Amino acid sequence: MTAMSTVEETATAPDDVASARGRFRPLRWLFVLVLAVLLAQLIVFLVGNDRFQWDVVAKYLFEKSVLAGLGTTVLLAVAAMALGSLAGGVVAAMQLSGFGPARWVATLWVGLFRGIPPLVQLIFWFNLAYLLPKLSLGIPFGPVFGTWDANSVITPLTAAVIGLSLVESAYLAEIFRAGVSSVDAGQRDAARAMGYPPGQTLVRIVLPQAMRVIIPPAGSQFINVLKGTALVSVIAMSDLLHAVQVIYNRTYEIVPMLLVACFWYLVVVTLLTAGQRRLERRFSRGHRGAR
Amino acid sequence: MSAPVLRISDVRKDFGPVTALAGVSLDVHEGETVVVIGPSGSGKSTLVRCAHQLESIDGGAMYLDGELLGHRRSPGGLRALTERRIAAQRRRMSMVFQQFNLFPQFTVLRNVTDAAIRVHRRDRSTVEAEARELLERIGLAGREDHYPRQLSGGQQQRVAIARAVLVRPRVMLFDEPTSALDPELVDEVLAVLRDLAAAGTTMVVVTHEMAFAREAADRCVFMEAGRIVEEGPPGELFARPGTDRLRAFLSRHLSEKEGVS
Repeated sequence: MTAMSTVEETATAPDDVASARGRFRPLRWLFVLVLAVLLAQLIVFLVGNDRFQWDVVAKYLFEKSVLAGLGTTVLLAVAAMALGSLAGGVVAAMQLSGFGPARWVATLWVGLFRGIPPLVQLIFWFNLAYLLPKLSLGIPFGPVFGTWDANSVITPLTAAVIGLSLVESAYLAEIFRAGVSSVDAGQRDAARAMGYPPGQTLVRIVLPQAMRVIIPPAGSQFINVLKGTALVSVIAMSDLLHAVQVIYNRTYEIVPMLLVACFWYLVVVTLLTAGQRRLERRFSRGHRGAR
Repeated sequence: MSAPVLRISDVRKDFGPVTALAGVSLDVHEGETVVVIGPSGSGKSTLVRCAHQLESIDGGAMYLDGELLGHRRSPGGLRALTERRIAAQRRRMSMVFQQFNLFPQFTVLRNVTDAAIRVHRRDRSTVEAEARELLERIGLAGREDHYPRQLSGGQQQRVAIARAVLVRPRVMLFDEPTSALDPELVDEVLAVLRDLAAAGTTMVVVTHEMAFAREAADRCVFMEAGRIVEEGPPGELFARPGTDRLRAFLSRHLSEKEGVS
């Protein structure tokens, strides 16, 4: 009896969780501590180790040949992505078609260009002249309109664009196909039911919804092809990596020059990622924040 | 009686080894409301999907205002139309789905008006004014700028009906329009259907709502196993079913509903 009355007297205010403090989370404190130590170590390593030669990095960061290489890298990536998207769209349409032979060709295409390492494909296209010394344009088994020497047509640039575009087309075809398949069959039904012709059904109704599924992996794929352009340095294409290689072959400042390349790759990839986020938001209209 | 708006003549449809429609004939006349009832799997939905050419048919023929649907006559016999030509034929009919199938990337107003503007090439401001008026009439005023996902099922289905009305179809097809709705939302959709029927819309409604069939139908069609077993005015059909199968179906479905109301 006396104990109860004591409780009532001391607990004058009613309990209210609004004034409660958060849960004690020791592991979080530990995590922050470890992170701080690691960060300090990293800074000491980056600043204290003069083999990084930050002055050399700064000197070559805006070097003309480096910026030209960066331009080539971006150009190659954009070209491969554009041509790869076009071809990939056609291949995806063939895969989704009800016509058997179209599906088989598309499956073979994807299997081939996704299955062979990009580096091998690049070297192969660069050496196409060995297989086909002459390239001609004309009607099969009919008149020929023009013939070119393969060695003059297949420059490092064309070999790089062809090789990277073909690889891209295979990956993008799969991404597009998955995107279109992800759209509820009822959407296509409804579009057809409202009398939309086939083209408009695809462009106005199906694709805008497929874009939600397509953009994240397509964005990753763009980043992949941008990094993949570094492969073209093996066929003497003067991309970003090749540009810094030319310099460090002369000066032996390998690590600082690679840091220059890393810097620019990261800058472009970061910009691409930001662009991808914007697109994602654009196409999530009507899908966010239910009720 | 005048020529039917929609004529379905001995239509057959198989899905692989399964026969969905085993020769169905049905004429729908101007201003008529035909309600199709029957157990699930009886081919009711397939019938309206075939009528709107969302599924191809394996036999028989269909006519809209006397025009052969899906094929053209050529010297060598019938020839399938291109998808574009079929799309043009679909523009004279419209359909409401069980799952609403509104376009999630469009606002309510855009959902209702897009086909009328883009496909029928009608004037935007006229269509939008018509759409706003229609939305207000079915209790959706102020929802024009919402996205479908922000609406309840009953509201979504009413938007879908508005979308189907605005293209001024010769005949409207309804594929179980209330089956995906919570019970308390069914009536708001049926009310819209009743208004349409009363206004003289030519429509075919596949439904399990027997009370609706009784009140709104000019003619009720009972299907089972891909065939029309019986048809007639709902009052007569419900009062004096001519077959054991309809009698069994009615006793199952009427008792449930009558018990509730």
